Amino acid sequence: MSHNEVARFEAIVLPHLDDAYTFARYLLRDEHDAQDAVQDAALRALRHMDGYREGDARAWLLAIVRNCCLTLRRKRRDDRSPQPAELLERLPARGPSTDARAIRGSDRALLERAVQALPDEFREVIVLREVHELSYKEISRVTGAPVGTVMSRLARARDRLAASLRPTQEAS
Amino acid sequence: MRCTDCFELLNAYADGELTAEQRGEVDAHVAGCAECARQLATLTTLSQSLREGLVRYTAPDLLEARIRASLESPALQGTPSRWRVAARLTAAGLLVAIASSALTTVALRRGDDNSALEQSVLTSHIRSLMPGHLTDVASNNQHNVKPWFNGRVDLSPTVPLLDSVGFPLVGGRLDYLAGHAAAVVVYGRRQHLINVYSWPTSRDDAAPATITDHGYHLVHWRDGGVELWAVSDLGLPELDAFVATFRRAR
Repeated sequence: MSHNEVARFEAIVLPHLDDAYTFARYLLRDEHDAQDAVQDAALRALRHMDGYREGDARAWLLAIVRNCCLTLRRKRRDDRSPQPAELLERLPARGPSTDARAIRGSDRALLERAVQALPDEFREVIVLREVHELSYKEISRVTGAPVGTVMSRLARARDRLAASLRPTQEAS
Repeated sequence: MRCTDCFELLNAYADGELTAEQRGEVDAHVAGCAECARQLATLTTLSQSLREGLVRYTAPDLLEARIRASLESPALQGTPSRWRVAARLTAAGLLVAIASSALTTVALRRGDDNSALEQSVLTSHIRSLMPGHLTDVASNNQHNVKPWFNGRVDLSPTVPLLDSVGFPLVGGRLDYLAGHAAAVVVYGRRQHLINVYSWPTSRDDAAPATITDHGYHLVHWRDGGVELWAVSDLGLPELDAFVATFRRAR
């Protein structure tokens, strides 16, 4: 590993370590697995520094993190974390309407749970958009899905979230 | 613009992803349509709540330390399994300084003979975590590890393959402690390592007993003329599970 490559790695990858870890936490829903995935991703990034184009370091790294997460998830068929179905059961039942006021009143734990309960393909776009604040184009780069697909997944993800955040007792 | 068209564009509108022209169309529609206006308000609020409410995690210091440590690892260029082990090792090396000073305290605190063996085993375990000290033969294949001990120690150690239950084989090494040449078989568990020491004994069989020292757990037992010690910083339930599986596999 040349000194130059290490210096480039430190300048390009390390500033985005929190982003990488956060993304992995949401994808894997387990802190130890997230750490393993990010370490794998960092090493993979280091070995592929030549594949990195100037600009957009974060999207580049997040795409690698995502791949490492998928690999790890495949390895852990017997997932230790709760399945989306179980989490969904703890959420309020779906109802006819959700208004802005009801969402505003949702506490963080409920939000977190609602996001964790989303299917993987919805959860990743929501996190990339709302936590990492990536543009559709960047999300497309990270997930490998076309921009149109990103848009429709986001819409469907928000639809589900809005439904699950509806309070059990309708606020008048 | 019809409501269905507008509805599809609302998300992109809320995300600022529309062209000026499209934005104008949505604006015009929303101004005259209460349902779409309500929908837009819901989307905007949801987005805002998520941004404010969702946790942004901070990468643990140890994770960054592990990554930085692996930058210096010469084995980086090697095969995945080798750099994995090397990265783990280098990371473990970071903890050795702390652990060594803890050991000194232990040594000062206890002077009795009963703990001498325990201390030897623990010292050996910690030394093994320093870069380059873990294995003499690094392999995840039991058929490479087991024969390696032939002629090097007075017993043929058990090297069960425990990958399927989450304890991949890392390798083996020779160690000398408390007057014994010991065969050491090394297993991994996530970022943790387990050293299993064995040497011949003439003493009777004994069921596993556990000692905990400065965050390390040591489980020792005797089985069919072999003295065994398993040492790790792994949580005790997991180490107990490992020992149970290991003994079953013998």
